[in-house]
Amino acid sequence: MRIRPMRMQKYLSLLVRVTAAAAVLVATPAFAMKPRPTDPIDVQLIAEHTELVPGQSQQLALLLRHQPHWHTYWINPGDSGLPTTVEWILPPGYTADEIDWPTPRRFAVGGLYNFGYDGETLLPVSITLPADAAVGSTAHIALVTKWLVCREECIPGKASLAIDLPVVRVAAKPDPRWTAQFSEARLEQPQATAWKRTVRDSGDHFTVTLTGPGLPPASAQLDALPAQRRLFDNKPPTIRRDGDALVIEAGKSEYFTSAPSELDLRVTTTSANGARGWRVRIPFAADATAPAR
Amino acid sequence: MRAIPLFVAAALTFAALPALAKPVVGQPAPDFSVADSSGRTQTLSAYKGKTVVLEWNNPECPFVRKHYGSGNMQKLQAAASAQGVIWLTVNSGASGKQGYLDAKAATAYVAKVGGKESAYLLDADGTVGHLYDAKTTPQMAVVDMQGVLRYLGGIDSIASTDADDIGKATPYVSQALAELAAGKTVSVPTSEPYGCSVKYGS
Repeated sequence: MRIRPMRMQKYLSLLVRVTAAAAVLVATPAFAMKPRPTDPIDVQLIAEHTELVPGQSQQLALLLRHQPHWHTYWINPGDSGLPTTVEWILPPGYTADEIDWPTPRRFAVGGLYNFGYDGETLLPVSITLPADAAVGSTAHIALVTKWLVCREECIPGKASLAIDLPVVRVAAKPDPRWTAQFSEARLEQPQATAWKRTVRDSGDHFTVTLTGPGLPPASAQLDALPAQRRLFDNKPPTIRRDGDALVIEAGKSEYFTSAPSELDLRVTTTSANGARGWRVRIPFAADATAPAR
Repeated sequence: MRAIPLFVAAALTFAALPALAKPVVGQPAPDFSVADSSGRTQTLSAYKGKTVVLEWNNPECPFVRKHYGSGNMQKLQAAASAQGVIWLTVNSGASGKQGYLDAKAATAYVAKVGGKESAYLLDADGTVGHLYDAKTTPQMAVVDMQGVLRYLGGIDSIASTDADDIGKATPYVSQALAELAAGKTVSVPTSEPYGCSVKYGS
């Protein structure tokens, strides 16, 4: 396994190593170790099932436990920050999908905006076994993950995590330790919609119009975040009802150059239960792009 | 165009004024006067006839440490200085926030890291930072000899805190300086800056 040393203050470097060690040990319950309460984040690799089945896709996840006031980042981190990354080290023939990013939250600090996660969050990933994975063998699934955890200040972190799971013929059993977490993670996934949708480049802002069943009411909790960078200016958009339609006006990024083929948008609401959202992919019309300011 | 009652439009126009002052590549760079760590006043327009680089700095930010710990920033500063380019490092961190430096601490910091900038600007009230809409540390701007903003964005193309990435990244700032020196158009005039948030006061 390739692990590059990081240049950090001694304290921080020690802190990350302790966190990483704690997370690796979690896979071995007999030696499970509680992370120190002073660590800004605890990162573990967990599996929804205690076993794997040849030819099937199963959910694994990074379990992120942030200390209060600390957060990590979505695939679009906003004005600053870095998305969490995962590099898998899998047995031959195994494949891992991209992270199924949960619905992100907006964080505001000093007039700048970030998108990400706080509290306890799962970053789920589907792992697919080859059909000929040997029943009776043990799969060693490992990864290197890097993150940036910020309060107002930021600390980069890195951990090598692994989990060993037996390969069985049929019916992998759910791991009772993580059932609640994986259920909650499903609720935090953005939902697909059948809304009619358009996006228009209106010069200094973008106008998104959504119509169709199940649209949320315009409220202070409603937000719209693009998964791509360099499109929106990251400030809270204006969201209003116009008859049947939900109209979202978001300022254009000052680093905007040209529109991609589609806008990959999350419409989100935040409540005490956490962030919930919808995923809306909206093609940019070929002629809908005004020149960059 | 949305229909807005006149009095509301007037109020909105007023509220939008600071936003209109946003820096635009290809337009005159916003002028400023601010004290540096040696107590001198640094005025952008005083450098007309020279190319000027602005670099936003927070000594504690891991992204800044990536470029100073590896010596990359000092190397860029020395190379720019050798070509007669003025390099102004700007600290827009508010007093009490992470990375804030007073004049004495700034002088000590520059000496410690071996900084080769022309001056270290103390912008604790965030005036210069807001003029350039600086969002991250590091963030970079390049102003040509006529005072026109020619580059605004990140230091290079790979957003990370890992010094090993510096060699693999497209160095936008040195690229822009080389193109300007050769009388060419800057091929990448903007990029999204990456790093820590600038720690502005309220």
